[in-house]
Amino acid sequence: MNGFSDFLELHPLFSWLFDLLKSTGLQDPWLHLVHYGALSVMMFGLLALIALFLVWWERKIAGHIQQRFGPMRHGWHGWYQTVMDAIKLLQKEDVKIALRDKPVFFWAPIVCFVAAFCVYVVMPFGENLIVADLNIGILYVLAITTWTVISLLMAGWGSNNKYALLGGMRSAAQIVSYEVPMALSILTPILFVSSLSMNDIVLSQSGPIYNWFIFRLPFGPIAFLTFIVAGTAEANRTPFDIPEAEQELVSGYNVEYSGMKFAMFFLAEFVNMFTIAAVAVTIFFGGWNGFEFLPSWLWFLGKTLLIVLLLMLFRWTYPRLRVDQLMVFAWKFLVPLTFANLIIAGLFKHLGWYW
Amino acid sequence: MGVMKDLKNLIAGLGITGKHLGRHAITIQYPEQRDTIPERSRGIVVLLSDKETGELNCTACQLCMRACPTGAIVVEFERDENKRKILTKFDLDNTICCFCGLCEESCNFSALKLATKYEFSTTDKDGLLWDMHKLQEVGRDVPYVDTRKKKAEKSEKKPTPKPAPKPADEQPAPKDSSEAPQPADKTPGVGDMPDKPKAAQKPDDPNDGGTDVASDNRDDDTKREGND
Repeated sequence: MNGFSDFLELHPLFSWLFDLLKSTGLQDPWLHLVHYGALSVMMFGLLALIALFLVWWERKIAGHIQQRFGPMRHGWHGWYQTVMDAIKLLQKEDVKIALRDKPVFFWAPIVCFVAAFCVYVVMPFGENLIVADLNIGILYVLAITTWTVISLLMAGWGSNNKYALLGGMRSAAQIVSYEVPMALSILTPILFVSSLSMNDIVLSQSGPIYNWFIFRLPFGPIAFLTFIVAGTAEANRTPFDIPEAEQELVSGYNVEYSGMKFAMFFLAEFVNMFTIAAVAVTIFFGGWNGFEFLPSWLWFLGKTLLIVLLLMLFRWTYPRLRVDQLMVFAWKFLVPLTFANLIIAGLFKHLGWYW
Repeated sequence: MGVMKDLKNLIAGLGITGKHLGRHAITIQYPEQRDTIPERSRGIVVLLSDKETGELNCTACQLCMRACPTGAIVVEFERDENKRKILTKFDLDNTICCFCGLCEESCNFSALKLATKYEFSTTDKDGLLWDMHKLQEVGRDVPYVDTRKKKAEKSEKKPTPKPAPKPADEQPAPKDSSEAPQPADKTPGVGDMPDKPKAAQKPDDPNDGGTDVASDNRDDDTKREGND
C-alpha cells in the first residue's frame, strides 16, 4: 500500500524536472527565474482546469439539487460544456461603453484575475508540492485576497453605470467587512502552530485524525464555521452575493462587461471559491494529510472538493441576505464571536490544555 | 438559545437540499426520450378518412367552422350534378387554432379529430397553414372510433319503442310524455332540451338533427317546466 501511494506522489517528478533544468547549466538568477516561471505557468494551467471543472460541477450539483440533470449534451453528462462556453465567450463582441474610464475599465478584470491566481503560490497541494513555501504564507493569502476589492471598485467605476458603481461599492464594503472575522478565525488555529507558513500548518496536523484543528474543541468547530461564513462572503457567493445577484442587479459590478473580460471575472469568482475551500482544508482539515492508500495531492483535492460541494449547497439552499443584514451580521455577530473564540483559544494555549 | 436554534435550522436546510441531491432526476432527455401522452390529449387537428375506402369522412356540413371560436377552420364546398356536397376546401390555420376541441365535438361524421401529435414546428408561417391534403395525410395513421350512422343499418336497427313516425308539427312541444311509451324518466331539469329524450336515439327524425351548438332552439327556454 505504501508503495502504491508513493508511486503516485508528484514531488519526485518536480525535483527531477528541476534537476533537468539545473543540468542545462543555467546561471543562478536565470535558473530560479526559469524555474519559478515554469512552475507559475503550470499552476496557471492547473487552475484554469480547476476553474473549468468547478463551473461544470456547480451546474451539475445545482441541477441535481433541483432534480434535473444539468448539462447533458457536450460529452458524457456535459463535461466539456464549460469549454464550449469559454469558446462562445471568446467569440462575443467586446462591448466598450463610449463614456467609460478607459484605463480603469480595461485593467479591472485583469486585476481581479491576477489577484485570484496569485494566491496559489503558497498553496500546499501535497507533500513538498508548494511553489514557494513562504514563511508568511497565511498572511500572504489574506493580503492577496484583499486585492479583489480594488478590482471591484475599478469595475464599478469604469463602467460609467450608477448601478454597477453601487454594486461595486457594496461589494467592496462587504469584502472589507468580512476580512476581519476571516482573519480572526484563521488566527485561532495559528496560535497552536506558532508559524505562518502553510507547510508548517499542515505538518502540525499530521498524525491521527483528531489532530486536525476542526476537531480541537471548543474553538476548532467555531473557528471553522466562522471561517466558512466569512469566506463565502469574501467570495461573493450566495447567500452573500448581493453585488452580483443575478436576479436583481443583473450582475452588479460586471454588468457592462462582455466576452473575454466577463469570462475573467467569472473564472476569478470560481477560483476564489476554490481558494476559500483550499485554505479551509489547509487550516482545519489537515491539508494533504491522510491515510496512506492515496497520494497526498489526491487527499488535498478530495477534501477541497468536498468543501466546495458544501459551498455550492449553501448557494442553492439559503436565501440571499440584504446588504444591511449582511453588514450587521459581520460586525455585530461574527466579529465579537471570533474575538471571543480567539481569547478562549489563547487561554487554552496559555494553560496548556490543547483540547 | 436563539443562535443554536438558528444553527440547527440552517443545518436542517442543508439536509433537505442534500436529500434532493441524492434523488434521481425526474426530467427526461427530449428528443431522445419522449413523455407518454394521455390518450385523449388534444394535439393537432387532423382529417379522418374512412377505414376501408380511404376517402375523407367529411361531408362539408360546416359545423366545425361554426363551432371554432377563433375561426381557424375554413370549409368550402360545391354541389355536383346530384346536388350532393363535394368538399373543395378545408383549411386549418394552425397559427390561430387554440386546440379547444370544439370542432371535434361538433362533428357528427367522425371527420376530424384532435390527434395526440404535437411536433410540427416549422421555420415559416406558411408551413402552419394546412390544407385538406396535408390534414388528411397527417391523419392517416390516427386511430379513431367511427361513430357515423351507416345508412344501410338504419332501417334494421329499429327496436325503437315508437311505432309511428312523429308528425312534424309536434317538434317544439314542451313535453311529449303524453302518449310516448319511450322512457319517460327525463326530469325537466334546467338546460334539458324538451324534445330530446335522454336514453333513446331517434335516428329517423329529420328535424331532430344537429347538436347543441349549431341548432340551439332558444325559443324552448320559456316553455321548459321548472324554469322561473
